Amino acid sequence: MMKERSSLRRTGLVMTLAVLMLAVAIMSVQGSAPAAPAADDAGKPRADIIRIDGLRQFGALERPAVVYLHERHTQALSKKNKDCAACHLPDRKYLSTKFKRLTDASRQTVMDIYHDNCTACHRQTADAGEKSGPVVCAGCHQDRAVASSWADFGMDRSLHYRHVKAQDSKCEACHHQVDPVAKKLVYVKGKEDDCRFCHLEKTVDRAISMRLAAHTQCIDCHRKRLAESKDAGPATCGGCHDAAVQRKIAKVKDVPRLMRGQPDVTIVQAVQRDGQPVAPFTRMSVVPFNHVAHEGANDTCRACHHSSMDACGKCHTLQGSKDGKFVNLQTAMHRASAQASCVGCHDGAKARKECAGCHATMARKDPPELSGCVSCHMPKPAAATPETAPKDMAAMLLAARKPVTATFADEDIPETVEIKSISKQYQAARMPHRKIVQTLVKNIQGNTIAGAFHRDPGTVCQGCHHNSPVAKKPPSCASCHGQPFDGRNLTRPGLQAAYHLQCMECHGVMGLDKPTATDCTGCHKDKI
Amino acid sequence: MSISRRSFLGWLGAAGAGGSMAAGPARAAGNGQFAGYPESLGVLFDVTRCIGCRKCEEACNKVNELPAPAKPFGDLAVMQTRRRTDAKSYTVVNRYENVPGAKGPLYRKLQCNHCLEPACASACFVRAFTKNPNGAVTYDESVCVGCRYCMIACPFEIPTYEYDRALEPRIMKCTFCQPRLAKGLLPGCVEICPVEALTFGRRRDLIRLAHERFAQFPGRYIDAIYGEKEMGGTAWMTISGVPFRELGLREDLGVTPAPELTKGALSVVPIVAGMWPVLLTGIYAISQRRDKIAREEQAAAVADAVGKSQAEAKAKLADALAKAEKDKKAAIDKEVKKALDAAKAAAAAAAAGTPADAPPSKVS
Repeated sequence: MMKERSSLRRTGLVMTLAVLMLAVAIMSVQGSAPAAPAADDAGKPRADIIRIDGLRQFGALERPAVVYLHERHTQALSKKNKDCAACHLPDRKYLSTKFKRLTDASRQTVMDIYHDNCTACHRQTADAGEKSGPVVCAGCHQDRAVASSWADFGMDRSLHYRHVKAQDSKCEACHHQVDPVAKKLVYVKGKEDDCRFCHLEKTVDRAISMRLAAHTQCIDCHRKRLAESKDAGPATCGGCHDAAVQRKIAKVKDVPRLMRGQPDVTIVQAVQRDGQPVAPFTRMSVVPFNHVAHEGANDTCRACHHSSMDACGKCHTLQGSKDGKFVNLQTAMHRASAQASCVGCHDGAKARKECAGCHATMARKDPPELSGCVSCHMPKPAAATPETAPKDMAAMLLAARKPVTATFADEDIPETVEIKSISKQYQAARMPHRKIVQTLVKNIQGNTIAGAFHRDPGTVCQGCHHNSPVAKKPPSCASCHGQPFDGRNLTRPGLQAAYHLQCMECHGVMGLDKPTATDCTGCHKDKI
Repeated sequence: MSISRRSFLGWLGAAGAGGSMAAGPARAAGNGQFAGYPESLGVLFDVTRCIGCRKCEEACNKVNELPAPAKPFGDLAVMQTRRRTDAKSYTVVNRYENVPGAKGPLYRKLQCNHCLEPACASACFVRAFTKNPNGAVTYDESVCVGCRYCMIACPFEIPTYEYDRALEPRIMKCTFCQPRLAKGLLPGCVEICPVEALTFGRRRDLIRLAHERFAQFPGRYIDAIYGEKEMGGTAWMTISGVPFRELGLREDLGVTPAPELTKGALSVVPIVAGMWPVLLTGIYAISQRRDKIAREEQAAAVADAVGKSQAEAKAKLADALAKAEKDKKAAIDKEVKKALDAAKAAAAAAAAGTPADAPPSKVS
């Protein structure tokens, strides 16, 4: 009996120990797993999140893709005086962006490269008694959400200028062209293009992807300069791609013009399909184009020159050509939905806060009013002869068209307007009419694009006094807006709604939060 | 309500019989070809215009003489919770915060959409709902039996019930201000809207208006009208700058009108209902015929029996008469013989003696 009890007790003890050991084992495995956000940067949005899912090219993944935090690794390695070359192999001139390999030979080799190298380093580090990464499958292969602060990055005029200065105006440091005969990269002065003309989103025969190009050439240069302790750009993910860091990048205010043989002013030249230019004024009034002003207003040449530095008319001929994807000159200049077209870009500018107050409430007219054409298309200057060069012609025309926002003299603008015709529940609203006009004009004063289109003193008035001819004394609102819900003209709001929509929408888009739209007495006092 | 079960069933039978006599079974319950009354009215609600002032709720309450709300209409904080229409409010405005793609809060008014082919009307078996040619879906409380099928049928969850009314509770929902429309007035909510977020007009004009706004303000709207096609189309429609689902509008309803969905099953109902009179009449006719035959057979049997007994009686009579005749004859013969014997005896006596008292000549 006694013997039986002791054997039972022994079994129980062994079982308990076994369970305890199992628990400890499980905990230790799990404990090593969270290489996930360490205490110092836990929860902070990161710009260095890389999803390692390269095996996807060989078929479906067996385990979740690895969420890899690149900067955590570069920091750990830099403490051991190791740099990029610890993981990235040299590929011709630069380091490959791939991990410990140059090509993706097969599924097994790529997988092995990751498994062998990652775990080997993690083990080694752990053996040295340092904080290390996981060595079991689920340690890396787990779905985890890490907040991202990653933002697309590109070069603007200011940053480009800083590079020009740093490289002593040696454009060849970055710009190159493909010599198709010698099959190598060469530099041609005056033929510098935008990187993205050749380096597209994906690698093609002609050139590697923009992503690859930037992550080899940019980072390589930054690394070398850093190694020489020179003023250098970042070599980390967040240095370029962190949204908060991007906002802190120093801006050069007055960036000198980039000279590449472009004109100061020109006329938009119409070209026949056979490449022959159309003589100005043979068909219609020409458009003088202030190239300098447009350079200053845009961050990249790409804003207009979307796929080459050639003149618009070269591809977008009068009738359209294959090079221009059969988008003819008229469409290329006027298509409102195209970012690189004149109208598309100018329309986009109307979304600015100081412009939207008037423009957001304006219905788009399609086709636009013909009176708008003359803002750009100008008649032949008296002094012009058939021999006048395009740039001289453009200079003459632009001299007669200074971009200034005009308005009527103060005494011609009513100071206050009392809106009382439909006063029922509330007192009449007193609108500080002159103050509103002056503020609107002040907001866009000095803005060249606004100046180009508001040269007539009555144009600004059209923000509210719309759909009637430009005049010093435009018709009153009630001239058109009467009873609501006129079955024959549903598009025209009644007088009350016309006032409310105009005032509230303008206030809303201009960011004037007070009075709120639902605060009736903010504009109309209660009747006593 | 005020109708007896007997008369209700009577109507049901009549309705069924009427239905079964109409053009065909498919058109009896749901009418697939109905494209709405051509001149019907509607209201277009523009989410991009609504400022969330709740004036429409207030006007609705006033013109429909609904009970005062617990919180005043000026209290905009009530919009923090998602509300539905109830027996005391035909319309409510809900606020939607942090909608992707919207700069600020958005507001959406909800009320009866006045479907072109209303589910509530198709579910109602006493025809308490009417789709009027002007577009309004109206309710007749005098025939309502309070089954609340309409509340279940409505895909927009609009009809509500006066649960707190013990006697004669009603279904409550927006009437499109039918009494006001009849007087030439605008619906209360439409009339008061300070920004014309609600536009009143002919439904087809409103659809055109919506498309005009899409064209005039590129980027402001998503290019769709909620209610143009949903559930076969509604008289009240919504346009918005964000997807409708962000504003709590169901996008899973499809474009088939509710009656269309149920017509297959419901089309059988009139047949079943119409069968009853035929069946009962048949049974009645058969039983009548059976009775008639029985009666005729009985009559024949009686006639037969009567004829037979009459013949028997006749024969008996004839026998009796014959016997009587015979008896009479026998009696006569007996008398005659007796007389003859007496005469013979007298003659013999006379011949032999004196004739006593009888002349012997004239004897018959």
